[in-house]
Amino acid sequence: MKILVCISNVPDTTSKINFTEDDTKFDTNGVQFVINPNDEFGLTRAMWFKEKQGATIHVVSVGEVSVEPTLRKALAIGADEAIRINTIPTDGLFVAQQLAEVVKNGQYDLIIAGRESIDYNGGMVPGILATLLDINFINTCIGLEIEGDAVTAIREIDGGKETLATTLPLVVGGQKGLVEESELRIPNMRGIMMARKKVLNVVEPTDSIRGTEDAKFEKPAPKGAVKLVDSDKIEELIDLLHNEAKVI
Amino acid sequence: MAQQYVDMDTLKFLLYRVHDLQTVLDQARYADYDQASVDLFLNATKDFSDKELFPFFREMDAAPAHFKEGEIIVHPQVEKYMKKAGEMGLIAALFDYEVGGLQMPNTVVSAAAYIQETANNHLPGYVGLTNGAAELIIHFGSKALNETYVPKMLTGDWGGTMCLTEPQAGSSLSDIITVAEQAEDGYTISGQKIFISGGDYREAENIVHLVLARIKGAPAGTKGISLFVVPKKRRTENGDLISNDVNTVGDFQKMGQKGYCTTHLSFGDEKDCKGWLVGEANQGLKYMFMMMNGARIAVGRGAAAITMAAYQASLAYAKERPQGRSLTRTGKKDVSQEQTLIINHPDVKRMLLFQKVVSEGALSLVLLTAKYHDLSTTHADPKEREKYLLLLEMLTPIVKTYPSEMGSVSVSNGLQVLGGYGFCTDFILQQYFRDIRIFPIYEGTTGIQSLDLLGRKVTMENGKGVLLLSEEIGKTIREALGIDTLAPYAKQLSGKLELSQEVLQFLIPFVKKGDYQRFLSDATVFMEFFGNIVVGWLWLNISIQAEKALVSGETQYTGDFYTSKIHAMKFYFKYELPKTTALAEILTNKEVLTVAEENSWFA
Repeated sequence: MKILVCISNVPDTTSKINFTEDDTKFDTNGVQFVINPNDEFGLTRAMWFKEKQGATIHVVSVGEVSVEPTLRKALAIGADEAIRINTIPTDGLFVAQQLAEVVKNGQYDLIIAGRESIDYNGGMVPGILATLLDINFINTCIGLEIEGDAVTAIREIDGGKETLATTLPLVVGGQKGLVEESELRIPNMRGIMMARKKVLNVVEPTDSIRGTEDAKFEKPAPKGAVKLVDSDKIEELIDLLHNEAKVI
Repeated sequence: MAQQYVDMDTLKFLLYRVHDLQTVLDQARYADYDQASVDLFLNATKDFSDKELFPFFREMDAAPAHFKEGEIIVHPQVEKYMKKAGEMGLIAALFDYEVGGLQMPNTVVSAAAYIQETANNHLPGYVGLTNGAAELIIHFGSKALNETYVPKMLTGDWGGTMCLTEPQAGSSLSDIITVAEQAEDGYTISGQKIFISGGDYREAENIVHLVLARIKGAPAGTKGISLFVVPKKRRTENGDLISNDVNTVGDFQKMGQKGYCTTHLSFGDEKDCKGWLVGEANQGLKYMFMMMNGARIAVGRGAAAITMAAYQASLAYAKERPQGRSLTRTGKKDVSQEQTLIINHPDVKRMLLFQKVVSEGALSLVLLTAKYHDLSTTHADPKEREKYLLLLEMLTPIVKTYPSEMGSVSVSNGLQVLGGYGFCTDFILQQYFRDIRIFPIYEGTTGIQSLDLLGRKVTMENGKGVLLLSEEIGKTIREALGIDTLAPYAKQLSGKLELSQEVLQFLIPFVKKGDYQRFLSDATVFMEFFGNIVVGWLWLNISIQAEKALVSGETQYTGDFYTSKIHAMKFYFKYELPKTTALAEILTNKEVLTVAEENSWFA
């Protein structure tokens, strides 16, 4: 089985987010980037297939050279090869088109992408990718078993779970549940050294539609100071909730 | 949000930019490493620390390691951490490929250990001692000893310790009396060892003790001390592990580092404790001290790490806690205004900046010393190796002492930032305050380090080490003089360097007169004086790199990041460096009050 894990390079959640150029560009100065958590769940599940069923894992990311450390980390965790599509990822449609080219050229059986990235939260890529490839698609996937071409997948649905049967080839939109957080792997030094010698192919992008562009970013308003109200002054609390917080 | 305990940006800025790790990676031994792989390793170590160390930090303090029915009970995470650290390569990192190591630079391993120690200073000691014990066997032990013990130690399955101290012999190792008697297949060992860190825990499959003992009939004093491998369990001919008559007879309950067990071991109660000689007889202390540079850097690093973690905790509190109001232009407070955050009070800012300059200055010192350690062993040019060895010798007592002593003061300031809450167990500062207090004592107390600095290092090779260090400081001063904004600070440091020469010109004649008691009587004051100047040098160096980054518009970090480094340097030069003037006054004062005075005057 040949697996492609699609990886977004996203800011660490502890990073301070700022914008430049009149709030039209994300300011990457001083920002630490990591593997998108939903993709990492997928990569870890792929490692299970590698170790138990002899699968081969390739990882792919759309981005400039700055995404390579993230791909190297995936290689250090255990992926066999990496591909970097050398362009700036803009919207989900553009990224999905780039990934579709890689899948067509690589003949993958299983494509795992996070159900959404934690930076722009578009949630579009796996669905569009499956559409472009015209293959099966399971989103919000929290369980995945494969025997031969037969796939049993569990999907999170409103208020419960749904078990689905399908076949490869397949696109999966993965998330927590594919593996648990405690199963996520930290690369060890031997893995990191081996990653230096693994293949990281850089491919040029195909002509694709860039459907949208960033017009402006806005940060949420800062949290106000906490007000403490004495427990015997309920009326004052109600007044504040009515007239200041305006929540009741 | 999870509590921040380490500043990875500062660590990487110091490692890559200020101390130019590339000069270490350029050495042939490290050909398999580049900055990208080092960066990945450090990030992985941070993830590992987030997951396996920090969550257990407070638990380990609340449920201390303790002695119960002949065993030491430790937090369950100790066993898990040892195994995971082995898997990560953290125990094997420094060693040659041939023995299963990873041949990583000491500088990088130090940075990784620092991250772990900021997360939880109770755990890394178990790995550090196992690493140190394995290092002794690898360097000096026979092939059989290496094959029997090292592989299991590098995977974290077996722990390791250093057994030096005895009830009657602590700092004075010449007085140890543990005995080794030649037997058919090695030696039989009998004696008591105390203050043995990581000395025992129930879950350990085995613990390999490196024991200093005296072979029967050996010369008195340090010349008769040998080094032995004495495992808790020894192998039988068919490979089974059986008891080796190493008994845990108690432990020491401490004010801090409560999760890091400190044991009292008794060897040979049943006259069935076997030991195997490491290297040659009567060379034990020499072997042990060859490892001591690494151990002393490690102690300084641990103290620097706690200092950083405490700074991060107090900074977070100061940014969230409203209390009081800023003074208005009339000099009064406007009580109709909302309370301001405590970080806005100048005295709180002063305490935070003090912590910043100590924690980051100490880290810079640790990384520089580790770099000297690497270059002293791996540089292609033998003359350069010799130079770096002398610089390492000079800095070793300082790197052990500055972070420990000033770190303790810094953590106290961190606690003070929290006011009354700092004293309460609901907050983490009091734990850092208790944990760091051992560091001025570990691996040779501040007094001993100070005797080493002034009595040995300053005078070694007719002052060549001091001269080399002064040249390094001089290079930084000259570079800073060429940058307009930094020139005033360069001149200030230059003056302090001259002051250090004046102090030494006053003290050295006591050596020539053979008055060593007087020469060394204020060694600890000299340590404080000289360490302060060395850290001033490091801060000037940091600010040069920050200034260059700002001028060239580098975007690796934010502008605020670089500016904060220059601001911290200015703080150091205003609030810390001037203290050397008073210390110099003490050192050159002709009145002698601590040498020949009568003990009865202490009534």
